[in-house]
Amino acid sequence: MWSYFANPERFDRLARALLPWCWGVAAALFAIGLPWALYFSPGDYQQSDTVRIMYVHVPAAWLAMFAYAGLGGASFVYFIWRHNLADLAARAIAPAGAVFAFICLATGALWGRPMWGAWWVWDARLTSMLVLFLLYLGYMALRGAIEDEKLSARAGAILAMAGLINLPIIKFSVDWWNTLHQGASVFRFDGPTIDPSQLWPLAIMALGFTVLYLAFVLTQMRAMIMERRAEALERRRERRLELEAEL
Amino acid sequence: MSALGAIFTRELRLAFAGGGGPAGPAAFNLAALALAPLAIGPDAETLQAAGPGVIAFAALLATLQPAERIFSEDASDGTLELYALSPVGLALSVFMKTLAFILAVFWTTPLLAFVGGLAYGMDVTSAFVLALGLGFAAPGLAFIAAFAGALAAGLKRAGLLIALIAAPLQVPLLVFAAGAGRAAMDGTGLEGPNLMMALAGSLAALALAPFGAAAALKARLE
Repeated sequence: MWSYFANPERFDRLARALLPWCWGVAAALFAIGLPWALYFSPGDYQQSDTVRIMYVHVPAAWLAMFAYAGLGGASFVYFIWRHNLADLAARAIAPAGAVFAFICLATGALWGRPMWGAWWVWDARLTSMLVLFLLYLGYMALRGAIEDEKLSARAGAILAMAGLINLPIIKFSVDWWNTLHQGASVFRFDGPTIDPSQLWPLAIMALGFTVLYLAFVLTQMRAMIMERRAEALERRRERRLELEAEL
Repeated sequence: MSALGAIFTRELRLAFAGGGGPAGPAAFNLAALALAPLAIGPDAETLQAAGPGVIAFAALLATLQPAERIFSEDASDGTLELYALSPVGLALSVFMKTLAFILAVFWTTPLLAFVGGLAYGMDVTSAFVLALGLGFAAPGLAFIAAFAGALAAGLKRAGLLIALIAAPLQVPLLVFAAGAGRAAMDGTGLEGPNLMMALAGSLAALALAPFGAAAALKARLE
């Protein structure tokens, strides 16, 4: 299956068919989710309206982590099978993941100010999200610093895989170090502890964010494929002009 | 075995002949330790509380300082090609090379941590625990820095890149090494587990980082 879609031509056709659906479904989910989350859902009995920040904050946090798993997975596929598309996927995922990590940190700060009385506290979850953000930045800086495309792809893949191995250890060490953030309240063994009136808009927002993320990544990948094709055409044109000049 | 021994002695000789042994990173470490109180202020209690953290952080910075030159020279003069062709293989060569480099350069880290701990007003036992923690963590920190150095070897502004790549990966070792010192100082009884975790993290880095670094260098050779 990998190899079937590893052909850029075939991938492009698939992406072109999928993309309108992705954008459409994301728009529809946000059309339902945003008003529900930001207006119709009940406020919290302690946090009142500030709880609404959660509907952006939590999906962004999930996606920042999910995207790093995607980055690591794509890097692994590139490193083993050398499929160019996997590298394009990794390159497209990194900025999206970094932006989600940043959104998570920024909305967390906005929420922390009224709730904890501080823009930032050195809590385990906040700190590991900050480290994740730094991992994304390091990956993008390394990719940007290497001009040779193949070398950039391989070095990036090695770094992304190292980060993936290290991420659970970082998470553990930082948890050990300090914990103030509330524990998980959605994914728990004994079922979610969050009320359905808030769980539903949260679920819709999370799904909307995920589809939006897919749309971003696919669009970016298509853009990169087209960029490559344009460069190849440009080179061919230059060569033809040179030949004509010689004649 | 003799090939590995040769790599080991070559690296030791190089570190002391051209690199000045531990001088560069140790001076850097010392400068960081000396400047921090000037920034924090002379209040004895604050300095004591900040001590383990500042000392561990200074040690971490010192491992980043020489990371750029570990592989860049060997990459440019063809030594790495020879290592890659040797029957030992690149990963094991990289392991031996980095190990020798660390033994030559970073044996000062625990000493500086102990002296620094006393200077920051920690009691002797806590300073010793902190020094032990950094003695455990330093090889791992340096191996992670070397991995970053292998990824960035020969690039423009490699130093900046190394810091950005290595720092997040070094977080666990920093947490446990400094945590051991703080636990000993606060009497929470957690210095044992912190020391064990620092050692475990360091050994994991020793086992994994050479493969990562070798893969990065191999990509450059192809």
